Amino acid sequence: MSDADKPARVRVTAPRSKATVAPARFPVAREVAEHSAVGDVFVRSLMRAQLRLALVVAGGFVLVLLSVPLLLAVFPVLADLSVLTIPVSWLILGALIYPFMCLCAWLFIRNAGRNESRYRDLVDGR
Amino acid sequence: MNPWVGFAAVAAVSVMTVVISVFGLRISRTTGDFYVASRTVRPWWNASAIGGEYLSAASFLGVAGLVLVSGVDGLWFPIGYTAGYLMLLLFVAAPMRRSGAYTVPDFAEARLASRPARGATSVLVIVVSWLYIVPQLHGASLTLRIATGLPSWVGAAVVTLVVCISVVAGGMRSITFAQAFQFWLKLTAIAVPVVFALLVLGNTGQPITAGGSVFEQAMNTAEDPSTYRNVSLTFSLLLGTLGLPHVLVRFYTNPDGGSARRTTLIVLALLGLFYLFPTIYGVLGRLYVPQLAASGASDATVLLLPGALVDGAAGTLLSALVIAGAFAAFLSTTSGLLVSSAGVISQDVFDGGVLGFRTGALVSAVIPFALALMTESLGLAGSVGLVFAFTASTIAPLLLLGIWWRGLTDAGAVAGMAAGGTLCGAAVLSAAVLDLPAGPAAELLAQPAAWTVPVAFSVMIIVSRLTPRRKPAAVSAILVRLHMPERSGRSGRSGRSDRSTSSRRNGG
Repeated sequence: MSDADKPARVRVTAPRSKATVAPARFPVAREVAEHSAVGDVFVRSLMRAQLRLALVVAGGFVLVLLSVPLLLAVFPVLADLSVLTIPVSWLILGALIYPFMCLCAWLFIRNAGRNESRYRDLVDGR
Repeated sequence: MNPWVGFAAVAAVSVMTVVISVFGLRISRTTGDFYVASRTVRPWWNASAIGGEYLSAASFLGVAGLVLVSGVDGLWFPIGYTAGYLMLLLFVAAPMRRSGAYTVPDFAEARLASRPARGATSVLVIVVSWLYIVPQLHGASLTLRIATGLPSWVGAAVVTLVVCISVVAGGMRSITFAQAFQFWLKLTAIAVPVVFALLVLGNTGQPITAGGSVFEQAMNTAEDPSTYRNVSLTFSLLLGTLGLPHVLVRFYTNPDGGSARRTTLIVLALLGLFYLFPTIYGVLGRLYVPQLAASGASDATVLLLPGALVDGAAGTLLSALVIAGAFAAFLSTTSGLLVSSAGVISQDVFDGGVLGFRTGALVSAVIPFALALMTESLGLAGSVGLVFAFTASTIAPLLLLGIWWRGLTDAGAVAGMAAGGTLCGAAVLSAAVLDLPAGPAAELLAQPAAWTVPVAFSVMIIVSRLTPRRKPAAVSAILVRLHMPERSGRSGRSGRSDRSTSSRRNGG
């Protein structure tokens, strides 16, 4: 491929930022894949997979969060449960919810990484 | 309380902050160093710095005050503050880092290829930073007044001055070190006194939970919030975190998208650990300093509890420690906000150089200081919550739609931000001015996020659909850049996201 038949290259960094621009260090196959119709399909499917994953994790978290006051309202007996005089509602909302958040985050990071390496394998043709 | 203890604590934290920034100045040389620490900050450092910056007056003082007056309902605030980071991780962290922009307006301009959209975003970022600095200064006033008996304006003035010196001297790199240091200072300052107090109570056989009665609703002094209020508040905290400019700017200091995600996970763990302690203060406060709720000084719970529980020299030392921690909270959040606001002012008003950054920092310090002197604190957690509602109705929809939806246009983005910002601002102001009797109307105005956020999203989508020709030609290339993983998982120090991309016809 000679220089003449390449389209003119235009930078899409924020023009007013002072970001340093490093030269691309990517295999040609990858470069081509990113800018062809096939590459576009790959990127769209990556985006869809990441968005679906994010929505599932966010939805799961919010569902669990909302279920705490809901369960307490439906089953008032639960409000009387306590550990070392601390009611379960305090225990969950004040402490246990945080490790649960970290668990959600960890699951997301693991799966988002998997989506990305699947994409990388597709593009690099392995 | 002996005023000299307060003086010593405040002076020690202020001097340490300035020393760290000046030390940092020696290792920050280029403009890149100055703005985003040249993107070489490692996840643990960065996570500590994010935690240090994020834990503001509302977290350090406000959460305990809320638990003191409203019991278990007060716990929704720290949950929202922390879960906001989960949302940030899920929807924004890695793409934001890969966008390669320094600030939110940079992102708006790169994504929408539009100067007007950049301008609108810049104005919002500056407004949000200034509004968020004001409660920090109120917290400083409260702390210094309680600790030393000095008039209120002194606390605000000290914070403004120290932050100005450290930001103007060091820029972002030194701020990263200072913030990371301040997270651990804050954690120590809030954890040690309460653990000590618990040990003392346990040893002397004094009640800790009074057989569980401290948890009862009958101990609440605030009226029970409605379900609408809790839902709207949690909603605004979840989405509002996405739009906080000082939080976003931190993500640009990660080397790549993957480390931006790992950083966020560490932040979640650090915040979860931190929020255990203000909750314990609030619970103990319900038993030992209930008079604070009656006198409307519930925000002072953290400051006064150690002295009330532990006598003598130990009590004095512990009080000094919490005062130092509270001051660290004001200093770190304020300097983070100052950095982001100064960065925007520098790039949009001046030529983007270091001199413009310093001028911007001075301007953004003086104006909130004036605002803080003119206004009265309404409860720290509440006023910070309103800033979250504002960012959730403006910057959050821009980021979410900009990252995940091809169809967003500059006209749509500006219209949506204008609609969300105007409605949210008007609702909060009219709630304050009209002073409606408690009821649905007052609730809708006082906690507007539940309806202003959907309105902002809808306006953005509808106007974008009406102006499809304004979609940037290179939208596909831009989205490739946001979502493409760096070449290999852990490396990526070389600017993958900074590389240039070929332009081509818009495919969708």
